[in-house]
Amino acid sequence: MKGFDEIQQLWQGQKPEPNVSFETILQHIKSHRTALTKKLFWQSVAVGTAVLTALWICIVVDFSTWTTYLALAIMVGCIGYYFANQLNDYKDISRNRHLLSKPQDYINYLRAFQQKRNRFNTRSYVVYEICIAVAFALYGIEMYFILPFWTLAGIFIFVVFWFLICHFVFMKQYIKHENMRIEEMIGNLERIKGQFRDR
Amino acid sequence: MRDQRQLFQQLFEKNSKKVYHLCYGYTGDSDSANDLMQETFIKVWQNLDTFRNESQFSTWIYRIAVNTCLSYLRTAKRRTTDELNDNIIENYAEEPSEKQEQIALLYKSISQLDENERIIITMVLDEIPYPEIAEVAGISEGNLRVKIHRIKHKLTEIYNSNERL
Repeated sequence: MKGFDEIQQLWQGQKPEPNVSFETILQHIKSHRTALTKKLFWQSVAVGTAVLTALWICIVVDFSTWTTYLALAIMVGCIGYYFANQLNDYKDISRNRHLLSKPQDYINYLRAFQQKRNRFNTRSYVVYEICIAVAFALYGIEMYFILPFWTLAGIFIFVVFWFLICHFVFMKQYIKHENMRIEEMIGNLERIKGQFRDR
Repeated sequence: MRDQRQLFQQLFEKNSKKVYHLCYGYTGDSDSANDLMQETFIKVWQNLDTFRNESQFSTWIYRIAVNTCLSYLRTAKRRTTDELNDNIIENYAEEPSEKQEQIALLYKSISQLDENERIIITMVLDEIPYPEIAEVAGISEGNLRVKIHRIKHKLTEIYNSNERL
């Protein structure tokens, strides 16, 4: 039988010590920063390329209807909106300023962040989807004057089919997976939050 | 930059062992504890500029460590307590001595406490002042004292029961 004081003596005489050195931490900070920078860089390159391609198409190709230019503008807007949101959330979670708050506040922040991400991936996606569909429809007006009817009809059916698959299969799976993760996380966090509450 | 590096080195040397103990007490696994300790100090480095002197550096670091441990729940693959306990025994199997066995048993007992109890008790065992623990845990000192009394009793019971087994 041991009392708490003996347990404390045992603890203080223990050997386990961290096997991570100060230099290793510094090395990780450098690589972490590089990884972060690289990720942001490649995201920017991808978006920049998409926007430049759209602009280049606008300049080089002489479209016969104004609707196509509008379609391109909508596409650029959608890409920009998506990128700005991703970047904003990414910066927010990377900034770590919430780590300085008390545990309960941090848990609340994580919950709010996850819910925000969930909203972005569900509700905002529908708006995003509608905008892309409108852009395709506007571009379809131009194609109506160029392509043979049956080719246009084929493309139209393919696009509609692809949208339906994305909406009812891929997105449903994604939302289900995301919700499961959020529910599991909220469950864990709620449990801990309850433990920290003043009793 | 040089000053920041010096300050960071000082903070690391002064606090790394205690942060490691906190993470070890929380996870019951030395590899995860090392990872969490590393993650904690990366966050400390990233946020050095934002430190406002409202609390002690050590309190600030513990708070980051606690939050890192809490978020470990959502990112790491969860293992059951039994698996953790096996891991604890394995970690100490390299140098089997009576003392090592007792320490392994102590970590096993800590892992049987609730998450917040593990965090609080590791700080108590490391003799962190009560006001500092209260600030880290975000609860009043009065309530902390009640909690500590209960946790000490609970840990002692679990330890002795594990020892008998």
